[in-house]
Amino acid sequence: MRVALAILKKDLQMEFRSKDSILAMWIFSLLIFVIFNFTFEVSRLVMLEIAPGLLWVAFIFSGMFGLNHSFSVEKENGNLRSMALMPVDGGQIYLGKFLSVTLIMLLFEALIFPIFVIFYDLQLSLQMFLLAPVIFAGTIGFTSLGTILSAVAVHTRNQQILLSLLLWPLVSPIIIWSVTLTGMILGGEIPPTFTSLLIRVGAFDVIFFTISYLLFDFILED
Amino acid sequence: MRKLIDKILLVVLFFAFMISLYLVFMWVPQIRASNAAEQIAQKIFYYHVPSAWVGFLAFFVVFVASVGYLATRKRQFELVAVASAEIGVLFITLVLITGPIWAKPVWGIWWTWDARLTSSLILWLIYIAYLMLRRYLPDGSKRANLSAVVGIIGFIDVPIVYYSIRWWETQHPKAVMASSEGSLAGEMFFTFMFTLATFTLLYAYFMRQRYQLLTLEDTVNKQFKEMEIL
Repeated sequence: MRVALAILKKDLQMEFRSKDSILAMWIFSLLIFVIFNFTFEVSRLVMLEIAPGLLWVAFIFSGMFGLNHSFSVEKENGNLRSMALMPVDGGQIYLGKFLSVTLIMLLFEALIFPIFVIFYDLQLSLQMFLLAPVIFAGTIGFTSLGTILSAVAVHTRNQQILLSLLLWPLVSPIIIWSVTLTGMILGGEIPPTFTSLLIRVGAFDVIFFTISYLLFDFILED
Repeated sequence: MRKLIDKILLVVLFFAFMISLYLVFMWVPQIRASNAAEQIAQKIFYYHVPSAWVGFLAFFVVFVASVGYLATRKRQFELVAVASAEIGVLFITLVLITGPIWAKPVWGIWWTWDARLTSSLILWLIYIAYLMLRRYLPDGSKRANLSAVVGIIGFIDVPIVYYSIRWWETQHPKAVMASSEGSLAGEMFFTFMFTLATFTLLYAYFMRQRYQLLTLEDTVNKQFKEMEIL
């Protein structure tokens, strides 16, 4: 646990000094909203229907910056090798990287969400607070698989594109459920299936995290 | 000995395919349908479903071989996994091609975002990514490790993807074998089982060929390296 926390601390310090990931992700999401506005001129009613999808498209596309950055930094500085040589379980390193990527992404999501509300003129209500667990659960699913696959893709020449190719199909269940849940909240009425769906996302999170945690040792090996 | 087995397999496969062609297009009774196009289109079932079965079998082999590789670090397991992934992608490609050909006359559309169609497409994408990863990595133990990890995660993900997509209303015909309401008529069942066995045999043949080719490549590469050292 100590190693994981040390990695987390180092990553957060780096991020807050440079703000590389967060800034890139935030601006990129903003661009997605703008481009979207030009490409689909739709009525407000339709807009409300597609808003949940748009929000997650922004999260996922921008999230790739954070994921790619997470391990390319380590590789540039030759840290990947040192990490492999550390006399600790690979799972610890995974946990540290996972925590830092997740925290940065959650922070970015919190920063972009107000913009989303303003641009698409969403009605604020108490129900909006339910979005917090949904976004949390969806993000964890995305980053748990994303972290290990980023560590895989970093060894290739085409890191950026390969990470998307690997991650998106695999993480599609999480995206499907997250968009559905977000749609329920923004739609105004919370159907009774909401809680059970949210629990399912949580269950997938646990599965993805556990597999990645167990397999990370093999990624570090040479 | 190996050559002999290959030859026998090839001969058996040739006759099995000839027989299956006869069974599918001459012997098995036509289904009752509103128009002729639909009747003919139904024949594709005998190739569509066995292809899907071989695809799943192939990806299961990728999973088992990947686990085997991480447990033993034997090169053979890695080669089996790659060979199987390539063949699996080939057969799922066939599924994705034959499906729309059937769907157009029967459903009136080439494609719909239904559970089985979407999850087959995503399955295909997962293993395409697996093969692309291997292309982008230099040969060595690193590549073997990384692709084994992706091979394992990919296969565990398959049921999750299917389960989550099934949530949408499904339009795909139900699995006729399993449902109680309707089951295949005797001749249809026999024909189906025959093509299924033929396709499985084809998988076995492809696997042997691809595996042998991969080991041959290994041998050649090793000899080149030795020459370079001299």
